[in-house]
Amino acid sequence: MPGNCSPVSLPLATRLTRLLARLVLYAVLWSVLAGLDGRSWIIGLPAVSAAACCSLFFAPQRLCPLSPLGLLRFIPFFLNLSFWGGCDVMRRALSPVMPLNPGLVRYQVSLPEAPQQVLLLNCISLLPGTISADFSGQCLTIHTIDRDMPVWSTVHLLERRVAAVFGLRLAGGAP
Amino acid sequence: MGLLHNLGTVCILLGIPFFISGTIGLLRFPDIYTRLHALTKADNVGLGFVVLGLSLQADGWHTVARLLLIWLLVLIASSASCHLVARAALRKKIEPWSRP
Repeated sequence: MPGNCSPVSLPLATRLTRLLARLVLYAVLWSVLAGLDGRSWIIGLPAVSAAACCSLFFAPQRLCPLSPLGLLRFIPFFLNLSFWGGCDVMRRALSPVMPLNPGLVRYQVSLPEAPQQVLLLNCISLLPGTISADFSGQCLTIHTIDRDMPVWSTVHLLERRVAAVFGLRLAGGAP
Repeated sequence: MGLLHNLGTVCILLGIPFFISGTIGLLRFPDIYTRLHALTKADNVGLGFVVLGLSLQADGWHTVARLLLIWLLVLIASSASCHLVARAALRKKIEPWSRP
C-alpha cells in the first residue's frame, strides 16, 4: 500500500535518515537469522540493502511509534484468537459434513494510517473464520467461512486492539 | 533439561494435526476463498506449536530468537499472500462458493 507522500518529494536528509534507520533494523534481523558468522554478510549485505531500499520505496513514511503497553496486551489477544482460528478450521476440515456457510461481509475501517491498516488486514486473515479479501478507500471486504459467526464484533474488537498498539483510541462503539 | 525436552516433543506433536487438517481443508474445501482459510490459519498454529516445541529444546536464547523471528516472518508472509490471492480472485470476479 503506497504511503501518502512519494519518496521523491522528501528532502534528501530525511530520506537518508529513514534509509539508515531501516538499514539498522534489517541488519539486526539478518544477524538474528544468520548468526554472527562474518561470512554470512556476503549474502546479508546485498539482502539488507535491497530490503531497506524496497521498504523506503513502498512505505516512505516515518517508522510508527508503538505503545509498549498496547503491544504487550495485543500479543496474548492475538495468540489466543489465532489459536482458536486454527482449531475452527481443523473442526470444519475434519468434520464429515464439513460445516461451511461462506459469504462476503463489508466493514468500514476507521484506522487512519497505512501501517495500522496493514496490521489490521494481516491479522484478520489469522482470526477465526475471516480473511481480508479486498481493501479500497476505507472499505474492507471480508470473506467469512460462516455467515453465522459474529464477524463485525470480532473485527471491531481487533481494530480497537490494533489502534492501542499504535497508542490510539478509536471514537465510537456501535456501527 | 529432560522435562523441557519432553514438553518440547509434546508441543511438536501437537503441531502436526494442525498441518494435516490444513492440508485436508485444502483438498476438501469447495473454492479458493475457503481453501485460503484452511491454509493460513491451520498452518500458522501448526508452525507456532513446532516453533514453541523447538524453543523449549533449544540450547540458547539465540536459537529461540531465531525461531520466533522465523515464525513472525512466516506469519507476515502467509497473511499478506492470503490477502493478495483473495484480492486477485475477487477482482477477477470469481464468485465465492455458497451453500446451495
